[in-house]
Amino acid sequence: MSALDWLVLSGTLAVIVGYGVWKTRGIRSAAAYLRGGEDGRWYTVGLSIMATQASAITFLSTPGQGFDDGLGFVQFYFGVPIAMVVLSATILPIYYRTRVLTAYEYLEQRFDLKTRQLTALIFLVQRGLGTGISIYAPAIILSVVLGWSSLVTTIAIGLLVIAYTVSGGTRAVNQTQQLQMAVMLGGMALAFVVVARQLPDSVSFQDALGVAGALGKLNAVDYSVKLNTRYTFWSGITGGTFVALAYFGTDQSQVQRYLSGESLGQARLGLLMNGLLKVPMQLLILLVGVLVFVFFQFNPSPVFFNGPALDAARGSAAVGAQVREVEARYAAATARKTQVVTAWLDARRAGAGADEAARKAALLEVDAEQQALRKDARKLVQQADPSANPKDADYVFLRFVMERFPAGLVGLLLAVILCAAMSATASALSALGATTMVDFYKRSVNPAVDDAKALRATRWFTAAWGLVAIGFAVVASRLDNLIQAVNILGSLFYGPMLGVFMVGFFLTRVRGTAVFWATLVAQALVLAAFAVSDIGFLWFNVIGCAAVVVVALGLQAVLPNAPPSSPAAA
Amino acid sequence: MDADAEGRPPFFRTWRGAYAAVLAWLLLTVVALTWLSRAFR
Repeated sequence: MSALDWLVLSGTLAVIVGYGVWKTRGIRSAAAYLRGGEDGRWYTVGLSIMATQASAITFLSTPGQGFDDGLGFVQFYFGVPIAMVVLSATILPIYYRTRVLTAYEYLEQRFDLKTRQLTALIFLVQRGLGTGISIYAPAIILSVVLGWSSLVTTIAIGLLVIAYTVSGGTRAVNQTQQLQMAVMLGGMALAFVVVARQLPDSVSFQDALGVAGALGKLNAVDYSVKLNTRYTFWSGITGGTFVALAYFGTDQSQVQRYLSGESLGQARLGLLMNGLLKVPMQLLILLVGVLVFVFFQFNPSPVFFNGPALDAARGSAAVGAQVREVEARYAAATARKTQVVTAWLDARRAGAGADEAARKAALLEVDAEQQALRKDARKLVQQADPSANPKDADYVFLRFVMERFPAGLVGLLLAVILCAAMSATASALSALGATTMVDFYKRSVNPAVDDAKALRATRWFTAAWGLVAIGFAVVASRLDNLIQAVNILGSLFYGPMLGVFMVGFFLTRVRGTAVFWATLVAQALVLAAFAVSDIGFLWFNVIGCAAVVVVALGLQAVLPNAPPSSPAAA
Repeated sequence: MDADAEGRPPFFRTWRGAYAAVLAWLLLTVVALTWLSRAFR
C-alpha cells in the first residue's frame, strides 16, 4: 500500500471516531446513553439502520458472490421493503407508545418476566458470539491480503469500536454511522466506476452485461419453486420477509437504532428509507462483483484467489505438482476464453445469428472447463491444508482492489471495509450493553440503582461485551467449525423470536406461560428440522415463527386462563 | 421536508401512501431485474 493509501485510511477512520466522540461528549443520563437523546432525524435513523446491517462481510463476500453466482443473491433482500412497511405500520407505534428501552422490555409488559428474559438471553448469546465473528471475519481476510497479523487487526478494530461506543452510547453509534455509511456508499459507487473503466476499450458497458448474461451472471430473479434452492423469488419474498421482520423488529441492535428517532414519524421514515435503498445498494455491490468477473474474461486470473493458501498448496510435497498442472491448464483455458469471448462479441455486434450461437456454445464450453479447474484447485488447496478457507470468492474483490485500484482508492476501499466492521460491531455492543443493563441488571439485580450508577454500569457492560467479542474473535481463528455453527444457529433463532413478538402484537388472548413454552418447543422443532432436512435456511424463519404461533394458541386453549397481563397489546 | 409534525409523511398525504410507494418501488425493481435476467442471456 502506498503512503497516500495509509493517509486516506487512517485519516478516514480518525475523523469518524473523533467525530463520534466529540459529538457525544457530556452525556449525563443513562436514558440519553441508551436511547441516544431521542432526537434522531429520519436520515440519521435510516443511515444508522443500514450501517448496522452492512457488516464488513457485505463488502467482502457480496462482490465475491456476484463474481461466483451472479445477481441471484439480491432476491434475499426482496423481503426488506415489505418488512419495513409492516414494521412501520404495526410494531413501531407499539414500541413508541410503551416507551420501552429494549424490545424485550415490551415482552414483560405484554407477557411476563420469564418470557422477557428468555428472549433477551437468546439475543445476548446469539449477538454476543455473532459480534466476535463480525470482528474476526474481516480481520482474517485483511490479514491475508495485507500480510498483517490477524491478532493485530482484530484487537485494533475491537478497541477502536469500544472506545467510541463506550464513550457516547447509542448517540455515538448513530452519529458515526452517518459518516461510515457515506464512506461505504461513496466508496462502492467509486469502485463500480473504477472496475467498469478497467474493462478493455473495445468492450462497452452493454457488451459487459452481454458477457455476464451469456455466462449466467445476470439471473437476478428465479421464479422456480424449489425448497432446497437457497435464493429464489419465493424464498426471498416469504423467508426474506420473515428474516427482515425478525431482524429489524426484534433484534435490539436494530430496535435501538429507530428508538433513537425524534418521533414515531422520523423513525418510520428511517425504516422506509432503508426499504427504498437496501435492494439497489445490494444490487450495486453484486454488480461490482459481476464486472470483476467480466474483467477476468479479458485478463489472466488466478485459479484460486486466496494467494497465501494457493502458494502453500503449490509448495506442498503431496499436491504441489497437481496444483501447478491445474494452474497451467487454467491459464491456457483463460487465454482461449479471451479469444472466444471476443469472437462471440464480434458476431453478436454483427448480428450473425448462427455464428453467434456457435461461438456462444464454445464460450460456455470453456467456461465449464474453467469452473471444473477452479473446483479441482479448491480441493487441492484443502488437501494441502484442511484448515484453509475453500471459499476463495471472499478474496476476489479485495485482491482486485489491491492489485488494480489507483493509489488513494485502495485506502478508501479498505476504509469502507473497516467502517462496515466498526458500524455493525458498534450497534451490537451498544445493544448488548443496553440489554444486559435494562433486562437483567436493572430489572432483577439492582432495581433501585440511581441514574449516575446506571450510566456507569451500562458503560462497563458495553466495554465487557466488547472484550468478550474480541476474545471470541481471537479464539475463533482456531475454531472454524464453531464459526459456521454460530452463523447457522443465529439464523435458526430468528423464527421463534419473531413468533413471540407476533403473538404479543396480534394474539391478545395468549398469555405468558403459553408463549414461553411455545418458544422452547418451536426452537427445538427448528433445530430438529435443521438436523434432519436440507431445507434452505430462510424457510426456518417461517417454520419457527409459525410453530410459536400454533403451539402458543394450542397451549393457551388448554391452560387455565390467567387475567390479561398487559395494556400494551390493546 | 418534515411534515411529520402534523403526523404526515413528506410527499404523501397519508402514511398509507408512503407505504404504497415503497411497495411500488419494490415491484418496479423486481420487474426491472426480471427484464435484466431475460434480456441478457
